[in-house]
Amino acid sequence: MTIMRFLSTGTVLAGFALAALPAFADDVTKGPHGETATPGESIVLTPDQQAKVKAGKFTAGLAWHTTSDWSNAVDQGAKDEFAQLGITVVATTDAGFDAAKQKNDVETILAKKPSVIISLPVDPETAPEVYKPALAVGTELVFIDNTPKGFEYGKDYITISTADLVQMGAKAGEALGTNLGGKGTVGYIFHDADFYVTNQRDQSFKKTIETKFPDMKIVAEQGLADPTRAEEIAQAFVTKNPNLDAIYVTWAEPAEFVLAALRNSGNTHTKIVTLDLSEPLALDMVKGGNVTAISADEAYSIGTTAAKAAALGLIGEKVPPFLAAGAIAITKDNVKEGWNASLHRDPPASLGVQ
Amino acid sequence: MAGKLSTLKGIDPAQYVVYVGFLLIFAAFAVVLRDDGFLTTNNLVNIVQQTAPITIMAIGMVFVLTAGEIDLSIGSVVAIAALIAAVVMRSAPWPVAVAAGLGAGAAIGMVNGLLVAYVRLPSFLVTLASMGLLAGVGRWLTNLQSVPIVDDSYTAIFGAGALFGVPSLIVWTLVGTAVGHFVFRETPFGAHVLATGDNPRAARAAGIKVDRLRLGVLVLSSTLAALAGLLYAGRLHGARYTLGETDLLTVIAAVIVGGTRLNGGSGTIIGALIGSLMMGMLNNGLILMGLSVAEQMMVRGLIILAAVALTLREKTR
Repeated sequence: MTIMRFLSTGTVLAGFALAALPAFADDVTKGPHGETATPGESIVLTPDQQAKVKAGKFTAGLAWHTTSDWSNAVDQGAKDEFAQLGITVVATTDAGFDAAKQKNDVETILAKKPSVIISLPVDPETAPEVYKPALAVGTELVFIDNTPKGFEYGKDYITISTADLVQMGAKAGEALGTNLGGKGTVGYIFHDADFYVTNQRDQSFKKTIETKFPDMKIVAEQGLADPTRAEEIAQAFVTKNPNLDAIYVTWAEPAEFVLAALRNSGNTHTKIVTLDLSEPLALDMVKGGNVTAISADEAYSIGTTAAKAAALGLIGEKVPPFLAAGAIAITKDNVKEGWNASLHRDPPASLGVQ
Repeated sequence: MAGKLSTLKGIDPAQYVVYVGFLLIFAAFAVVLRDDGFLTTNNLVNIVQQTAPITIMAIGMVFVLTAGEIDLSIGSVVAIAALIAAVVMRSAPWPVAVAAGLGAGAAIGMVNGLLVAYVRLPSFLVTLASMGLLAGVGRWLTNLQSVPIVDDSYTAIFGAGALFGVPSLIVWTLVGTAVGHFVFRETPFGAHVLATGDNPRAARAAGIKVDRLRLGVLVLSSTLAALAGLLYAGRLHGARYTLGETDLLTVIAAVIVGGTRLNGGSGTIIGALIGSLMMGMLNNGLILMGLSVAEQMMVRGLIILAAVALTLREKTR
């Protein structure tokens, strides 16, 4: 999953501390309200249910928070699945990270009286006002990643579809451990904010290194709030630990700054591992540069899962509250498969792996 | 023929174009989307409600542009005013919060205005700088967190309520436009704004206090942006630092499409209202057409370009 979808037009993350932070004691991804994740692929419709959905002649609206590579993949997944299920998508919107625009969008979509809306709320705090008009006219809701504050599962919305955050972090840890042969020193740049998405990913990476690779050691740790500061942090890491073997970066955008820092200092030794696909990072990886692995979520599946859950909800079937799509670690050996698993399309031509 | 031409000259062609454009787009959507809910009362009311903050800001922008200045900081003022009002409302009655929000807007406009009128810096640069500065302040104020508003009176007056059955945001639009139109057309202040934008030297020679007037339009614009922030906060039952962030260009487009000159000397409040409604109607109609987000953006851009081209061509005749 790309953290960019939580970014506003500025460089800071939005919406922190909105969700109560669940405990991370378990190796299972938890939802914004501490829900335990159910694998997204477990959501299937029986032929009977499919027939019922088709007979319902349902319609759907998609109200996105922004448009990006990631949201396009979710959007496409939802649209493909809806097409299969005979549900017509009547409107698609992009709120540009603006909660007020998202309210306008939802109101506008409602003019087409969709049976269900799939949406990623820009701001959980003000989102109740955004979606109340939908509840008022009986339009069902499926959320991606997060829910409006105070909304209740089963009553106000069908389910949340999201990425398997713990898996994403774990896959990054495993890919790095494997690449370094199970030993070495690691610098750990985590997201310094009370935000359940990044927190779970970061902690899962750390735990994987600490428990699965006893000969690997995290020798430097630094929290990050502003992605552009990653460059300074990386510089400080390698200044203090000249032989640092790898740096974990909490998501792709700051990882690009870490890569810049390593390149500028002529450092070809220190590896980078991060989460979320990024073309510049993948390019460095296929060229044998610093980047060794990128862990990504299966964004397309988040969309298909949301659509299937929506269909089930529309015919009155109960769906678990929190559905998580799988994750994949992409290295230079599986760029093509990885890109397809995550975004459901081939990697950019610049990577030369077509 | 000659008689007809001279009658036409009496009408400001720029205004005429915006009405025709508005009606054309409306008619096109009404036909294409006849089965898609476009013409339902609910949808049309939504369009006016959704554009209320843009309209309020556009009214201020007409004064600023007509006076030959510009205010780029309005988008940032929206968030600041909304956040301040929401924070104050935690511990004080809503009228105090409203005063605080509007006061913040006026104060920002005052600083912008003093720098422009008396330090003699260009308004483009002053407000460009304050836009960036205030965007930072907005983020810092509540450490990026949204602030909920639970005061029902406030949210009714500034957001979801109604007066004699008319939704409050529509009341704000109507009252704002009426007052703005009256001040612009019927008061000495409006006449001085026009004169200053048309020819500042001549205005000064004629005894108009040009500096004070520049200060005045910037205070007005910033205060109206603050009011727009209060409307957003009322509508969302809360404030957030991203409110208004993307509104600046929509406001300028609405004002220019409406027939106000970008470089001063001529403006219209009613045109700005129509321009603002046109923007809202475009957003609404293109979504209802079921276009993808990319298609919506491209088509919207082309229609705005066509509208601006028509408006500006007519004016330079």
